[in-house]
Amino acid sequence: MKKSFRESKSCDILVKVLFLVLVAIIWEITAKAHVFGERSEIVFPTIEAIGAAFVRNFTKGYAGTGLALYTLNSMNLLLRGLLIGIGLAFAFSGLSMISRTFSNVYNLCVTIFDLLPGVALLPVVIVIFGVKPGVIVFLVVHSVIWPMSRSVLDGFKAAPKIYVEAGKNLGLNGPGLLFGVYVPAAAAYIVSGLKVGWARAWRGLIAAEMVFGIASCPGIGLYINQMRTNMKNAEMYATLIVIIIIGLVVQYGILNPIEKMTVRRWGMVSAA
Amino acid sequence: MDEAGPGTAAGDVDAADKPVVLEVSHLTKIFDDSQIPGADGMGNRVIVDLSLQVRKNDFLCILGPSGCGKTTLLRCIGGFENFEGKIRINGIERRTPGTDRIMVFQDYNQLFPWKTVEKNIQYGLKLKGIRDKEELRRLSDHALETVGLSGYQKYYPHQLSGGMKQRVAIAKALALKPEIILMDEPFAALDAITRNTLQQELLRISADQDWDCTIIFITHNIQEAIVLGTRIMVMEKGGTIAVNEKNPIRRPVTPASEGYGAYWNKLHAALYRA
Repeated sequence: MKKSFRESKSCDILVKVLFLVLVAIIWEITAKAHVFGERSEIVFPTIEAIGAAFVRNFTKGYAGTGLALYTLNSMNLLLRGLLIGIGLAFAFSGLSMISRTFSNVYNLCVTIFDLLPGVALLPVVIVIFGVKPGVIVFLVVHSVIWPMSRSVLDGFKAAPKIYVEAGKNLGLNGPGLLFGVYVPAAAAYIVSGLKVGWARAWRGLIAAEMVFGIASCPGIGLYINQMRTNMKNAEMYATLIVIIIIGLVVQYGILNPIEKMTVRRWGMVSAA
Repeated sequence: MDEAGPGTAAGDVDAADKPVVLEVSHLTKIFDDSQIPGADGMGNRVIVDLSLQVRKNDFLCILGPSGCGKTTLLRCIGGFENFEGKIRINGIERRTPGTDRIMVFQDYNQLFPWKTVEKNIQYGLKLKGIRDKEELRRLSDHALETVGLSGYQKYYPHQLSGGMKQRVAIAKALALKPEIILMDEPFAALDAITRNTLQQELLRISADQDWDCTIIFITHNIQEAIVLGTRIMVMEKGGTIAVNEKNPIRRPVTPASEGYGAYWNKLHAALYRA
């Protein structure tokens, strides 16, 4: 049976595109109407101005440094933080499966620290360690490790008993059982943990850079702040678009394929 | 399906001279009930002092009412429960799970959903130390062919029906060549037609000299027990053995077989006495 156009995938895409066009039109009308008074074009620039600023961000940038370098710096810190955070989340969650004492302590830590915003922790860290790129990495680790651990721990706990027993029946135990059964059985939770962890890390990174921008390792957050202090509002908006684009690329270019290759392929319902 | 096979069944052979594969002696299993309100705190005595022998190529069907301890008995043999007493496989004591006793569960979602049919079968073989890819493929193909699923190697479990998943689970057990296959109502969750087909296939496989199986099969279904078993055991509440004898009905068993009605009635009476 042929599906009607309204149920088709191209219709879904069309709806999304039309919505974006509508937003752009409203934006443009608002900008041209000078609703924010005399200097309205500075506070609320037109799409052409933002477009031009988007290009300028990369060609001219700030103080001779293009936005590309700022972005690369941010991504570098982010990637390091993500890898460490995810690695630690797996290591500690795995240890929690082996030791009951460790599990108790670690669950308490996850509950406490997951509620603590990274930016709130940053002043303390800076007082102790000083201002250096490592501090931002620390913050990214903090943002990703707790939600990721929560997902992994929940996933391990929810691993169907029958898989665990089938694994033991094949002679698996200890780390073999952990990696052979618990980790794949928790795949849906791990994928949703990655999504939450990545989003937290990305936001945490931008926030930290904005509040404690480090000139020795300038990132996107710092750039956006510099644009604001220099009254370059169009550039500011254009940088927001860069942040959104990076988010979309990670979502559709990395996270969705991971999901498709694992839980969807295996017919395991996503936990999210 | 092929119903001609079971003509020369193991049931016709007197197995008393075959070696003892499984020996359960003085098995007692008491579940802690101290957390359950109203319980006497003495523990829930599911199985008390049960002894049992299973010989090579036996197909032992265990019948019993719900809660009589038949699943617990199987889980103890599989090494999934702590217990008092001794369980020996070929004379060697076992207390933990191992590939010499492979369990086929009732739940047909027992295959790893993240592995294809083929990899599900090969995983246990790999863990046993078989590394050669050709050898692994040969073994898994042969097992799949036996259960009538040639061509489904690359399917993921979620793409199969319940009956097909149970076939794969049986293939997985066969491929590992365990000393004994433990089946806990493997067909109970299936529809009647699929169930009949799988009974006939299991009968054929169990009688196949190539596979050389020894099976313990738990069921609620008297007909299933008479059709499949070379030996039949009835358990009563408290885990005592009410009946444990050679199946007197000649294979292939149908409701028209000589003595079927009388034997069915006997088992039915034993089953409902408790």
